Amino acid sequence: MSYAPSPAALRRIEATIALYPEKGAAILPVLHIIQGESGFVPEEAESWVAGRLAVPPVRVREVLSFYTMFKRAPGGRHSLLVCRNLSCTLAGAEDILGFIFETLGVRPGETTPDGAITVFAVECLGNCDHAPCLQADGADHGPATRASVAALIEELRADA
Amino acid sequence: MTEAKRVRLTIDGRAVEVAEGTNVLKAAEAAGVAIPHFCYHPGLEIEGSCRMCLVEIEGLPKLELACSTVVREGLVVRTSTERVRTARKDVLEFLLAEHPLDCPICDKAGECRLQDYYDLHGLTAGRMIEARERREKKRPIGRGLILDRERCVLCTRCVRFLRQVTRTGELGVFERSLRSEVGTFEGRPVDNDYSGNLVDICPVGAITSEDFRFKTRAWFLTRKPSVCPHCGRGCAVVVESVKGYPLAAGERRVYRVTARENAAVNGHWICDLGREGRREIDEGRLTGVLRAGAPAKGLSWRTALAEVAASIRSVPGPDRTARIAVVLNARLTSEELAQAKRLFVDGLGLDRISFAGRKPGRADSLLLTAERMPNDRGVLEAGFPPRPPALAELSTAGVLLVFGPYLAEHFEAEALQNVLAAVPAKFLFTAHSGPLDRLATLAFPVAHPAEKSGTYVNIEGVRQPFGRAVAPLPSAVAEGAIFDCLAGRLGLNLGESDVR
Amino acid sequence: MPESMDRLLPVDDASWGLEAYVSRGGYAAARQALTSMAPADVIAEVCRAVLRGRGGAGFPAGTKWGFVPQNVSGPKYLCVNADEGEPGTFKDRLILLRAPHALIEGIVIAAFAVGIPKAFIYVRGEYALISERLEAAIAEARAAGYLGPRVLGTDFGLEIVAHHGAGAYICGEETALLESLEGRRGQPRVKPPFPAVVGLFRSPTVINNVETLAAVPQIIGRGAGWFLGRGLAKDGGTRLFSVSGAVRRPGVYELPVGTPLREIIEVHAGGPPEGRRIKAVVPGGLSAPVLKPEELDLPMDFDSLAKAGSMLGSAGIIVIADGTPILDVLHVTARFYAHESCGKCTPCRIGTAWILKVVERLRRSGGGPADLDLVVRLAGGIKGRTLCPLGDAAALPIQALVTKFRSELEQAVAR
Repeated sequence: MSYAPSPAALRRIEATIALYPEKGAAILPVLHIIQGESGFVPEEAESWVAGRLAVPPVRVREVLSFYTMFKRAPGGRHSLLVCRNLSCTLAGAEDILGFIFETLGVRPGETTPDGAITVFAVECLGNCDHAPCLQADGADHGPATRASVAALIEELRADA
Repeated sequence: MTEAKRVRLTIDGRAVEVAEGTNVLKAAEAAGVAIPHFCYHPGLEIEGSCRMCLVEIEGLPKLELACSTVVREGLVVRTSTERVRTARKDVLEFLLAEHPLDCPICDKAGECRLQDYYDLHGLTAGRMIEARERREKKRPIGRGLILDRERCVLCTRCVRFLRQVTRTGELGVFERSLRSEVGTFEGRPVDNDYSGNLVDICPVGAITSEDFRFKTRAWFLTRKPSVCPHCGRGCAVVVESVKGYPLAAGERRVYRVTARENAAVNGHWICDLGREGRREIDEGRLTGVLRAGAPAKGLSWRTALAEVAASIRSVPGPDRTARIAVVLNARLTSEELAQAKRLFVDGLGLDRISFAGRKPGRADSLLLTAERMPNDRGVLEAGFPPRPPALAELSTAGVLLVFGPYLAEHFEAEALQNVLAAVPAKFLFTAHSGPLDRLATLAFPVAHPAEKSGTYVNIEGVRQPFGRAVAPLPSAVAEGAIFDCLAGRLGLNLGESDVR
Repeated sequence: MPESMDRLLPVDDASWGLEAYVSRGGYAAARQALTSMAPADVIAEVCRAVLRGRGGAGFPAGTKWGFVPQNVSGPKYLCVNADEGEPGTFKDRLILLRAPHALIEGIVIAAFAVGIPKAFIYVRGEYALISERLEAAIAEARAAGYLGPRVLGTDFGLEIVAHHGAGAYICGEETALLESLEGRRGQPRVKPPFPAVVGLFRSPTVINNVETLAAVPQIIGRGAGWFLGRGLAKDGGTRLFSVSGAVRRPGVYELPVGTPLREIIEVHAGGPPEGRRIKAVVPGGLSAPVLKPEELDLPMDFDSLAKAGSMLGSAGIIVIADGTPILDVLHVTARFYAHESCGKCTPCRIGTAWILKVVERLRRSGGGPADLDLVVRLAGGIKGRTLCPLGDAAALPIQALVTKFRSELEQAVAR
């Protein structure tokens, strides 16, 4: 089974590679493009990226496994990040995580049975004046309350 | 040609002068001070991650790495103050906190840096009572190498070797923080001809070789330097063997051939061909004189040589050039080649002298040469034209002396058999049993290069003398001794001979 | 010069666009630098302003620019550190959202001063949506001739590329940032060589924080003396102080360097909520050792914080009120560094994880003074021994928490 990005993704990938004096430097942006398409980076894609950027595939695996935003396995359709660093903990992040467990039945790292949402506990999102902070599919939410989180979850689920 | 500028500095009160650009760790070596380290290796780029080589440098507030600090004129370095020793103990305690207590079953025991440094710098009770990370312990990574991720200290020597030396880059470091681990990509195991160096350079028992695992203990090994005979590079090696305990009395086994540093020849590395060569030191050896392929019980080689001398003497002087042929090989040492010249050319006036050898192979961009014999240059230096053997010449010989099993590499078995059948007196001198044995009137067991001393001249003209690295098998005799004895029986004086 | 350039950060993100920026005086400083100043003079002006790095290390920006060798062939690069990851810090986010052109103008001036034709902005992966606005601003700037092969019609050419990270705090460390930009794991490099000489793709490279560069147009536009005068003699200008935690008005406050910490917390951020009192303050991002309530009367500048045993760092102020167990703060801190350790060097890789294991055990099943001593000692094994500042960033705050709140912690873990 061989992997190929969609034509649109391929166009973006080629445009991205052209921005760097060395092809290997495009590994992170290219992985972002691929993950943007598939929701994660499949193993076949690692080989494809390695071939296209003329680096050994082990280099791609190194990068993929080092950075927390890259996913190597499919998850839910939506990602829900909950910050648990200091300002957010002071503002009640633990309670928010508890509420999410009550509502969705999942702990950080787990995906809801309906495949809608994967919850992640993360470090500082850089939005501390809106603590406790969440980030859903890249969009910041905060200050989170049980009510606002409930609404956010509904919104994400409805977007199936 | 301008020489590198010299820099003077003081290390632990000792004055030392080294070339500009030297790092403090190497400068300390020159001063006789060993600074402990894991990740540093002189053949690899600086990594600076193990933090074991931290030393005090006067004028600088923090401890500095000896491996990455380049010497400056007047630098004052202290390598064993309280601060430095505490820093080393801390690094050791950190490493041991996440290291399995595997010594009783780990091959590296006895030659392990973690053990050695703990003896020298640690000896503190570990304070780790939390659960240690559990990881995969027996992960094949290719070429018979096994990775134990629990033992790995993440020095990245293996990763860097494959990136910087072989440029094959099969290994990487995955994950991050304490979850970091060394690994390969599926379907892309370690696969290059220098993989054995990974075992040499791993400072602990994280990378081991299936070939060596559980077979013996480091402290039983006798380690002697030698020169690899498997190609024209002549890499400096160490042959590691055990004779007697814990083997049976009189039994000898070579367990390992490892790399020895020689800046003029092979740098820090050797190839896997040389390592594999350990087998032929023990395996398939001729253990006694054979007559027509069958063991000639009770016949010593000296007595058997009398027959050879008699055959030679039976050919009248003027006929010798036409009727006596000798096949030599380039595994003979330069000293033995000089003896052979004096015996066969000067003494007996022969000119049907040819050289058989292993077929040339593929050369690589690192060490391996196309030629697969160690002393081709020595053959030239001894004054022999390096003529390959010719069947026509061999078939018309009345007496044929063949040194080495290599005729089988030059000619088809059937053709060789027919030719040799036509030669009345044919004598074979070889270390290993082979298809030629039963074709010879007499076959004599000779020594392997590791069992001899002498000199090889490599492909670049570098002259490398070597001493006996392993105790020879009881029956094995060096070709030099054979030339001496033969000369004696023929009444020839070979002059000075320094072959042992 | 119009007054509104005096404020680096607009109050909202309604005026982020090029037109609004230009109408309040934007890009006038870049024009001045490129058309009437020599590059060396630009560097000298920034040196005179004593603009210290606003990412955390506080290294003088002009001095750093001067380290780049000028007589070399081959490319030079500018890397903008937008990897804002220091917990409690969110000022660069607001610059990207509200004043991206101030950053771009600062990049133009800096690149001109050092002779750099290409700049990469390393934006943390979690700011990907925010980066869309930055990239729109870059497109605006290029269309208007502030970027491209002939900036403002001069011979100076500059391209900017936005590059996204993917979730690694360590990539805020300058050499780890370079490694990440080159497509590798974000692991710091041995120094020397320093990035000014051997940096991105082995070329001379300047790395500056977003806020540092965004302040450059002010310096060139209003003069070094003006900028320096707003702050202190050894630490010029204003800073964007991020305030969060137990305060009534969390947010970013643009105030002179040297503003007293207590003033920032109680006057600008409104102090702790009704009925609560300050228990502890982290003054410069989580990596800055905690201060107790009686230690808050100090000016917020690099030297004063250093003298007090802490650091100004990223000026991320986190206020902790009574009722918050310090054991929780210790846990959050230990967990952060253990998770973000890149894993390259021994003391940080193993030490941060070990400390976390001890603290987790203390929370789960308690312990005693010996365990707290162990935490301090382990942190001591990390301090000053690591390849990069993350080691000290972990060790010093952890030691400060355990030392300054020892009796509370002993009580908390006793079973």
